[in-house]
Amino acid sequence: MSSGDNTVMAEVQRDHLFNLVLKGERADGRAFDEFREITIETDAIDTADGSAMVTLGDTKLLVGIKVQPGEPFSDTPDKGVIIVNIELIPLASPDYEAGPPREGAIEIARVVDRGIRESKSIDLTKLCITEGEKVWIIFVDIHVLNNGGNIVDAASMGAIAALLNTTIPAARHDLGEDTPLPVRDIPLAVTTIEFGGEMMLDPSLDEEKIASTSLIVATNTDGSISGMQKLGAEPLMIDQVMRVIGMAQTAASDIRKKFLEV
Amino acid sequence: MERKIVVPGDVVSDNIKMSGSGTYIRGDEVCASVYGLVNAGARYVSVIPLSGKYIPHANDRVIGIIIETTHSNWIVDINSPYDGLLHVSQYPRRIELEDMKKYLKVGDCVLVLVKDVDAAMKVELTMRDKELRRLTDGRITTIGPTKMPRVIGRSGSMIRLLKSIIGCGMFVGQNGRVWISGSEDRIDLAIQAIRYIEANAHTPGLTDRVQAFLKAKEKTMQSRIHESRDNEEW
Amino acid sequence: MSEKPEHFIIDGKRLDGRRRDELRPIKIELSPLDRADGSCYLEWGRNKVVAAVYGPRELHPRHRQNMTGAVVQCRYNMASFSVDERIRPGPSRRSVEISKVIRQAFEHVVFTKFFPKTAIDIYIEVLRADAGTRTAGINAASLALADAGIPMRGLVSACAVGKVDGEIVLDLMKEEDNFGDADVPVAMTSDNRITLLQMDGRMTTEEFYKALELAKTGCTTVYELQRQALVEKYDNEYQAEGGLDE
Repeated sequence: MSSGDNTVMAEVQRDHLFNLVLKGERADGRAFDEFREITIETDAIDTADGSAMVTLGDTKLLVGIKVQPGEPFSDTPDKGVIIVNIELIPLASPDYEAGPPREGAIEIARVVDRGIRESKSIDLTKLCITEGEKVWIIFVDIHVLNNGGNIVDAASMGAIAALLNTTIPAARHDLGEDTPLPVRDIPLAVTTIEFGGEMMLDPSLDEEKIASTSLIVATNTDGSISGMQKLGAEPLMIDQVMRVIGMAQTAASDIRKKFLEV
Repeated sequence: MERKIVVPGDVVSDNIKMSGSGTYIRGDEVCASVYGLVNAGARYVSVIPLSGKYIPHANDRVIGIIIETTHSNWIVDINSPYDGLLHVSQYPRRIELEDMKKYLKVGDCVLVLVKDVDAAMKVELTMRDKELRRLTDGRITTIGPTKMPRVIGRSGSMIRLLKSIIGCGMFVGQNGRVWISGSEDRIDLAIQAIRYIEANAHTPGLTDRVQAFLKAKEKTMQSRIHESRDNEEW
Repeated sequence: MSEKPEHFIIDGKRLDGRRRDELRPIKIELSPLDRADGSCYLEWGRNKVVAAVYGPRELHPRHRQNMTGAVVQCRYNMASFSVDERIRPGPSRRSVEISKVIRQAFEHVVFTKFFPKTAIDIYIEVLRADAGTRTAGINAASLALADAGIPMRGLVSACAVGKVDGEIVLDLMKEEDNFGDADVPVAMTSDNRITLLQMDGRMTTEEFYKALELAKTGCTTVYELQRQALVEKYDNEYQAEGGLDE
């Protein structure tokens, strides 16, 4: 649902997935709160100032960070700028088309962007070079290579892994010595879908298609929430939302421990 | 017999009269046009591709999914670059245009016959033949169309083997979609067997190997099978 | 950006230690992307590219369909972080031109006639660029086409030749590309039909002929690696699966 796969799913396949849910099972044998296999490889691209290649099940994406001096926004003259861009390039799925990003891609980028920005994990005041004139601009470019479902969580892991791997290239711009990008927290977005009355994490491509609704929750190390987005037209109840938050916190803490903390 | 692997452009014969499918003539030689395995027959040399899309031909039996209903046609995804058209008159019984959605709706699976394919690749389908129908239960899996002949086997021998050993219903569409019916664990086993055939599609002695594979699987499933035997009819 | 070196060739060795007629190391991985019909990841020196092929598939919009065969389409794109200065995402004049010449490098070899009204889409993403991304992209795309089961006259192999310090050299590295006297990317089939030819710089006719001959030997070496990658892919799968048996 979140990454816009358009093909029609056979009714019998839908029935099969539904019957599995009733038995408490998923097509790939996972538990409802279980992620697919995750790998994160940092320093994947040496032309970037920070980078990470992420695989999440069949989903593959590459995040590259570029840090460049530029002008601050006029309302935040003493703060650096972070810009998150996600490219759902047509290489990654038969359903992506060349051309300007569509609403789905823009939504994903903004959700990942808010998750990082609102967590205040990057101290933007430390990115000021000359107040009102020059600050560091951090471009987080997410290049999706294979859409196997749940782009958002993979992008979120990749973005923070790449940021943790980033060096501010001050020497290249005659602005002093290179320093590591100051990262204070590890925000992670976790997607939960609702299907057949059950909540499940890390939807595969088929599961995304059948989900009636999904909720993305970005949480931080202390459990605080720094971003949320409900996708899909079906409503959710308050107790469902609260349960999803709990699932997202547990999953994020698990991913943080296993993959992202040094 | 071990078959030789070739890439596009490899010479497969020096007799241009031998040029079969998956080959072309370059100068006075026959070359492979696809990445695949050489099949050298007495009269033709062909190359069996390792991958590729299903291209429909008249009289193919295929499994389709309804993707759209128009004024008088259902548009059917047949796992091909070309969608099929199922005209309302090709439904097994006479129905009114306004009732089309009552009989077949988007997402429904159908077992259909390719009636005709014209030069512009307009693919006409029909359900007016025996066995053709809407599939309401079971599961669909797909295999590469180029590996599909191995699942069918020589004049259907492999399907018969699978059906009888596993104890499930099965129909292999020529478009690489396979429909399997039966209890859930029978379907699971059938899908495992199909994956096995797909992975070993180009190896010799496949029938024996599939039998051995199923025997080994059955052993581990034995206890579960006994339970299901009491409850399921198949 | 680095400075122009005083010499490109010292004691017969280039800046990275190669001979004049030597290619940078090439690494090939077939079918890394499961959504595509065929795909290939390729490293060439410090270039990292990935190519995917989708098709034949229905072509939209309909008025672009060709009743007598498939339409080959190509999109070459550089990731914004693939070079020193960030590239703004989306097509540039450079990427549009390169997409076109790459498409034409394949139009001759693909048997389009079997698939009227369809598109065969070739997507090339440059993840990390040094010199020679278009030739790296062509080599990867050629393998992705074969992997997708697309019928072709043969594989297309590509490499660049150029002129530095007044000498003709094979497969320019970044410094040679930036500061050398000429750069000639070439793609050809295994029977030496040229399907892509561009030139940037200045050469005499004799030098140019010499350059093309050198490109031919370079393409032959690339072809051998491509062919070997396809054969090995089959062998590996065959062995891996044979092993499941007992």
